[in-house]
Amino acid sequence: MFPEWSSALVWWQWVILAAVPPAVVLLYFLKLKRTPLEVPSTYLWHKSIEDLNVNSLWQRLRRNLLLLLQLLLIALAMLALLQPGWRSQILSGDRFIFLIDNSASMNATDVAPSRLAEAKRQVLELIGEMDSADVAMVVSFSDTARVEQTFTGNRRELRAAVEAIEPTERRTSLVEAIKVSSGLANPGRSGEDITDERVAEALPAKLFIVSDGKFPDVDDLALGTLDAVYIPIGQPDAANVAIVAFDTRRHSRQDDRLQAFAQMVNFGSEPVVVDAELFLDAQSEPFDVARETIPPNGVWSEPFPMVGVESGVLELRLSVEDALEVDNRAWTIINPPEPVPVLVVSPGNEPLQWALTTGPARRLASVQVEPPEFLATDTYRQQAAGRAWSLLIYDRCGPETMPQANTLFIGSVPKHPGWSAGPRIEAPMIVDADPAHPLMQFVTVDQELIAAATPLSFPSGGSVLIDAGDQPLLAIAPREGFEDAVLGFELVGVRSDGQMGLRTTWPRRLSFAVFLQNCVEYLGGAGRADSANRYRPGESVTLENPDPEQSFQVRSPRGKVTNPRGGTQGRFQFRETTEVGEYKVESGGSTAGRFVVNLFDRAESDVATRAQGAIRIGYVEIPDDSGWEPTRTDLWKGLLLLGLAVLLLEWYTYTRRIRL
Amino acid sequence: MSTALPLLSPELLARLQRMELVSRKVFRGRMKGERRSTRKGQSVEFADFRNYVPGDDLRFVDWNTYARLDRLFLKLFLEEEDLHVFALIDASRSMDFGDPTKLYFAKQLAAALGFVGLVRSDRVRIETLGNSADRANVFRGRQSLWRMLDYLESITPEDTPSLAEAVKSFCLRNSGRGIVVLISDLMDKGGYEDALRWLVARRMDVYVVHVLAAEELDPPLEGDLRLVDCEDADTAEITATGALMARYRRTLAAFVDGASEFCTRRGMVYMRASNETSVESLMTGYLRQRGLVR
Repeated sequence: MFPEWSSALVWWQWVILAAVPPAVVLLYFLKLKRTPLEVPSTYLWHKSIEDLNVNSLWQRLRRNLLLLLQLLLIALAMLALLQPGWRSQILSGDRFIFLIDNSASMNATDVAPSRLAEAKRQVLELIGEMDSADVAMVVSFSDTARVEQTFTGNRRELRAAVEAIEPTERRTSLVEAIKVSSGLANPGRSGEDITDERVAEALPAKLFIVSDGKFPDVDDLALGTLDAVYIPIGQPDAANVAIVAFDTRRHSRQDDRLQAFAQMVNFGSEPVVVDAELFLDAQSEPFDVARETIPPNGVWSEPFPMVGVESGVLELRLSVEDALEVDNRAWTIINPPEPVPVLVVSPGNEPLQWALTTGPARRLASVQVEPPEFLATDTYRQQAAGRAWSLLIYDRCGPETMPQANTLFIGSVPKHPGWSAGPRIEAPMIVDADPAHPLMQFVTVDQELIAAATPLSFPSGGSVLIDAGDQPLLAIAPREGFEDAVLGFELVGVRSDGQMGLRTTWPRRLSFAVFLQNCVEYLGGAGRADSANRYRPGESVTLENPDPEQSFQVRSPRGKVTNPRGGTQGRFQFRETTEVGEYKVESGGSTAGRFVVNLFDRAESDVATRAQGAIRIGYVEIPDDSGWEPTRTDLWKGLLLLGLAVLLLEWYTYTRRIRL
Repeated sequence: MSTALPLLSPELLARLQRMELVSRKVFRGRMKGERRSTRKGQSVEFADFRNYVPGDDLRFVDWNTYARLDRLFLKLFLEEEDLHVFALIDASRSMDFGDPTKLYFAKQLAAALGFVGLVRSDRVRIETLGNSADRANVFRGRQSLWRMLDYLESITPEDTPSLAEAVKSFCLRNSGRGIVVLISDLMDKGGYEDALRWLVARRMDVYVVHVLAAEELDPPLEGDLRLVDCEDADTAEITATGALMARYRRTLAAFVDGASEFCTRRGMVYMRASNETSVESLMTGYLRQRGLVR
């Protein structure tokens, strides 16, 4: 609310009006020239006013009551002529949706006590401005959306719902929140029959996005009847230093040498001196420390060499005063350097075996090579079901039932729904490869020649890694928590001259060895000795119970214990990765595994609030102030009434005096 | 003006003629009718006998007793002592208020009392406070009535010393016992207590007639006023509000009650009178009840 004045008089009228109070005072003093009156004696009068003089100030005021009332009356009249009023804003509309961002960046303390608290305060204020007939809904969102309160006119419920919103350490995505809002605001028809009584009208609603704007623009959503308003929370120049990456790598040749890498970014506009402390297994003394002045918007990458560390949990802490606390710590797990067990089932494939015997590959994997007949043995079945191998490579063969592990099929397709091979094509030309996929990192295949291939079809959720013009040659697809990669052409086979030989030039290249190493690392989980078990807040984690007979629970960094349920074959999906830090998987009372959750999100860590009017949903710019309608509340009527009351009081006082 | 009126009307004189001043002190214990004998001559009032001692005046020996008892007894007669009536009139300027003025009322009352005294051959002395130089104000006998009235008429309001000073001066000059009637408004900034103590100390039979004007009892004031004291030009600035007037009335009541209590405690008779009270009703009613006259 802002006070507003508008004068009803021109300047010379004001001059005349301004002369009235001095005139009243003057008249009062003229009037106050007391009439002298001779009395027999002032003896009793002095005695009478003696004790009145004790509180003479009050008496003086009492004596001057008429003057004060007159001055007050004139002051009120002048104030009324100034036409004072409040320029305030009222909520327009009658249906509201409050989207409250409770993502990690809303924990920033650039507005006290935190952005989320400020957001809640502003929403409570908006709820307070609602008319009694208005209805509203409260939705909290981070990377998911949660309806805290469906449409209701009960303000107490709305307030309680807003108060109940807790901060999270998750990332931000507006999409789901918008979907939920539009779904609830514009319910679709309850049935195909248009005469259905329950068909709800799409009613317009005002959508308040109370956030710091640290989410990507939403392009493929239409707001429909929703009228969106962005209420920015936080400072546009809020400074923050964040760890955006923290990783460990073993030395390529020496297993006992480890290097931790950390990348810190200063998102502020001032240089910041940052102390980084590295802790191993939550010891009180830091393992290593480093100090650096990070320039504005600068990046600091720091390696921490470590020798003789076999395993443990590394924690990196930044000692810096900034807006967001959650990104000043990062964790990573060092697993012991163990080669992963890899089974290669092949009728004979020298290039493949050579590639798996390179130095790095040997360190990563212990390879067991078996002929296709091995697949029919009980040993295989038991070991495959018992997860004896981390990666199974089937060369021109395949199992009847898929193993409980990741697989790579070469020149064959899994017998699993969704997978199939197309008709054989001769000499396909590799058109495209997906270098972004971990399997294809540092792998170049565009120059390779292929004798023949069978284009692949893969289950939904898969992706093409190498294709020959709409004909996938290498694809990868998920399968119940595992992934299957399928190469649609043979490496070795029967050549046209009837001899066994290479059917592609790829195995001759270094990139093939790199590809296999990628497979061992990514599919086999090797090399993840230092990077495995790392997740982002909100990500789903697949957990295995090594002993289904034992109780199984997950202990969060803050000590919250969850018992995952509903898993199949000893595998569970754990979704409550809401806190950053180290999670312990406990089975039968002992720690069976660990994983860490880190924020590592530049968008969240860059806490500078998005400028007003910079939010876009479905190519529509979202304004930041249209939720309010300006209104003016005049005060002069009240002043006039007050003046009338003063006049009455003055009249009463005057008549009382006359009556004496 | 009121001062032009005669102080005593013929009707009042006729009523006063039958009255007599009574002192509670000087002749305490005396029987009725004793005052009557004083008018027939001196030393005729028998009091007592006592044995003759050489040197006594033989004229007072009771020869009849000597004849019967053969012993000499001296016959004692009460010494003649006329009643002194003092009327002390406060003629300060504060008495010149009211309609009729308080001073006129005081003069009227003094005239009435004086007349009663004159009729009974008492020694009447009328004084104004502080006017010590005037000695020609002692009256005795009925024939002095007109002189007394003339004297009273001549009294005008004047600047006077304080009440205590004036009474002290009066007491020092008049040693004889008697009835003192002080007619004053007691409005003295120095207080009336010292003045009355002087009178008590002289063992006089003191009557205090406290005269207040109607304007003092209920002042018809309103508005913002500067009250000027007519005696010392002292001022008091007031705004006549209901609260102040109520406070004044409380102060006045406290003042009157204080004076009354002060007098009663010391054996003085206190009477409050308004300037509008008629002297006749005061004399025939109130003063008779209080025992000053009968």
